[in-house]
Amino acid sequence: VNTTWHADPDVLSRYAAETLDDVRAASLEAHLLTCERCREALVPLTANADLDDIWRGIETALDAPRPGIVEWLLLHVGVGDDVARLLAATTSLRLSWLLAEAFALGTAALAAHAAAGTVRATATLFVFLALAALVPVVGVAAAFGPGVDPSYEIGIAAPMRSDRLLFIRAAAVLGASLAIAGIAAVVLPGTGWTLALWLAPALGLSLATLALATVLRPISAALTVGLAWVVLAAVTAATSADPMTVFRAGGQLLFLGLIAGSSLVIARRHAAYEGRIPA
Amino acid sequence: MTVRADGDDDLIAAVAGGDREALAALYRRHAPWLVLRLARRCPDPGTVEEVVQDTFVAVWNGADRYRATGEVPAWIWGIGIRRLISRLRRRPAALAGRPDETVVSAEDEVLLGVEHGDLGAALGSLSPELPAVVQATVLDGLTTREAATLLGIPQGTVKTRAARARRELREALA
Repeated sequence: VNTTWHADPDVLSRYAAETLDDVRAASLEAHLLTCERCREALVPLTANADLDDIWRGIETALDAPRPGIVEWLLLHVGVGDDVARLLAATTSLRLSWLLAEAFALGTAALAAHAAAGTVRATATLFVFLALAALVPVVGVAAAFGPGVDPSYEIGIAAPMRSDRLLFIRAAAVLGASLAIAGIAAVVLPGTGWTLALWLAPALGLSLATLALATVLRPISAALTVGLAWVVLAAVTAATSADPMTVFRAGGQLLFLGLIAGSSLVIARRHAAYEGRIPA
Repeated sequence: MTVRADGDDDLIAAVAGGDREALAALYRRHAPWLVLRLARRCPDPGTVEEVVQDTFVAVWNGADRYRATGEVPAWIWGIGIRRLISRLRRRPAALAGRPDETVVSAEDEVLLGVEHGDLGAALGSLSPELPAVVQATVLDGLTTREAATLLGIPQGTVKTRAARARRELREALA
């Protein structure tokens, strides 16, 4: 827009000093939108604002990493940004990890679904249930410890109690694993309790891992628990008349006991995580 | 930082392509008047600086959505005033010190719009609490809700003041 009229220096300096009356200020503001020359004339009058400082703030904001999809979701459901960042840095909460879990459990569930009514029905169902119980243990193990945790050093130095962060991460990992297994279980043949038979073992084994981690390194604790589970499942399946023994009433009771016992150990010994287990 | 002579539209296109230097050039050109214009609407310098920062981050992220329909300064102002309002919505305390409940004296009412003929004078003759509403709703183009947040008054008050301002202007210009 070509304008022949330009604001005089007195008007501009009174505008910058906020002493210009409202009407003339409004008129000047309308003019400024279309007049490059008057906008430039204002530049030396902005001494009060530290424009360089604001620019540094802009550059910092542009350089800040954009949150990944997991962190973004966490932020949008109201999780604090410090917790969201630490959770997003958790290996077993990465999208790739969650997809791998979904793939493994989904495949097992579909196999069980396909084998329904055949001689392999029980075997495939057994594999799914055993796997669904094991996945959270692996997830908890992958969330902690040098070599698997990309934020291990940050966690060690984080100004947050080890046990608090451990529980936050373990709960998030457990929640994610249980949700994925729960969704996968929907395609299982059978109804009602069959869908939830893996739940008590999964919780029991995860809590046992955390309890054992008060004495062992988390990765060793997870390996121990995972191996014990595989051995128990294989032995009971091979020796009992009913291959599903471990998931029947007796097995369920055993795992409820394991949940209670592990919770007790964690509650009494959670101070042992401090300094040893990184957040 | 080098000085660029490109037009605003070219700079926006470069910013959309990820050119940080182009953003710096836009900033040098448009941050000064934006700071002053925002400062007239928000008495807290800290909030104004945050809003300017928000605005140019939004320009960076939204440059690819800029359609050369209006002038770049108007586009930037549109972003800036809305960033200010969303900041005020979260932290209304920044409005403290703003005279929003001016008592109108009987003399002011009597003196309204009698002898003035032109629009500027008519605006100047508005009751003291009205120009801010006219500025927010007409000149800044804000919605009633946005104007209410900016001025720290209820939406109903914005509506009644806007109606009164229209009436007073009509009378003053008659």
